[in-house]
Amino acid sequence: MQLGEFEYLMLTAAARLGDEAYGLAIRQEIEVATGRQCSLGALYTTLDRLELKGLIKTWMGDPTPQRGGRPKRMVRVTAKGEQAAAAFYAAVMRVSRGVTWATK
Amino acid sequence: MRPHTGSFSWWLVDRVSCLLDESEREVVCGDLAECGSRPGRALREVLGLLVRRQAALWLDWQPWFAVLSAVVPIGLLLSHASRSWGVILGIDLANYWVLWDFSYLAYPGYRNDVIHLVVWTGTCWVALVGWSWMCGFVVGQFSRRTLWLTLSMFALVVFVGTWGKVPMRQWNPSLQYHLVVVVAPRMVRAFLVILPMVLGAYRGRRGSTLSLLPTALGVLLMAGATIVVSQAFENSVFFPRDPGPDGFVISEDDPRPWWPLSFVMMWPAAYILATTVVHRWREKRVLA
Repeated sequence: MQLGEFEYLMLTAAARLGDEAYGLAIRQEIEVATGRQCSLGALYTTLDRLELKGLIKTWMGDPTPQRGGRPKRMVRVTAKGEQAAAAFYAAVMRVSRGVTWATK
Repeated sequence: MRPHTGSFSWWLVDRVSCLLDESEREVVCGDLAECGSRPGRALREVLGLLVRRQAALWLDWQPWFAVLSAVVPIGLLLSHASRSWGVILGIDLANYWVLWDFSYLAYPGYRNDVIHLVVWTGTCWVALVGWSWMCGFVVGQFSRRTLWLTLSMFALVVFVGTWGKVPMRQWNPSLQYHLVVVVAPRMVRAFLVILPMVLGAYRGRRGSTLSLLPTALGVLLMAGATIVVSQAFENSVFFPRDPGPDGFVISEDDPRPWWPLSFVMMWPAAYILATTVVHRWREKRVLA
């Protein structure tokens, strides 16, 4: 399964967050890790794409008071998603072997 | 979203977010509330998501089909027809307002003129409402999730479709002229074109098919109205070669045929009738 860079970032953030993975938390995780802003448009369209590929599963969580009584879109990485992310990571590691920035 | 802040910006964010799907709107508004976003950024975020969602929908062929086969061609024709007939209606109303006297009805000639005007105007209105509703219906069927954008396009085409057709040099600033040339066509467009189109679009979007008998009768009625009023398209609607004194109603010596226009206006009727017949036939087969 082919993954893009942003898709990989989302899968990794969702996997790291585990049971606490939902839209906004994934966005914050990506922003902290990359130092770049992540728009809600990019976030939710990519989540849809990943779900369509079967790499994640999403569902509506319970409403919470700090969200004004509105639900979260919860995310869980599927086994297929883990395989795709692992393949992407392995490819990055292989291709990075021996380059100066990888050995620093 | 942020119920404690009743500012215009948050109201705008709330309104814009209504264009998202209900479930997505809830999630996005919840995210914005949780992260304490400023209204400016919140608006950008919602607009960004909306643009991406709309762009994805326009990768499909149906919205393009609705725009290219109905919104633009029928919208342009309705723009011209509503303007032409709106001006005529305005002139007639202005004349009768000034000259009306019930005692005139005793004269057969005057009476016939009034009857002719009422029948002609009624037929034109039926045609405008029917074409607009049917156009809306097919747009609603083919452009379900992009409806607000296609409806906006239709309104734009209807209201700007005749720009530049009235030479400004002939502009007469009198109130009566303003009522006839500006107000009457706009009223006709708003109530006899846009409103039926929107109603038809929401009926079409619901997806349920129409009853066969009323549909067949409606299509017959519209075919009759189209045959009667299509002659009014000739010269006055399509690419006027020689504008008359008011810049719109023109001479009658233009040889270009008007009948192909009825195909443009009536294809939604044919589509509606065909889909209704096919649906009923399938229903019967299932029941059998």
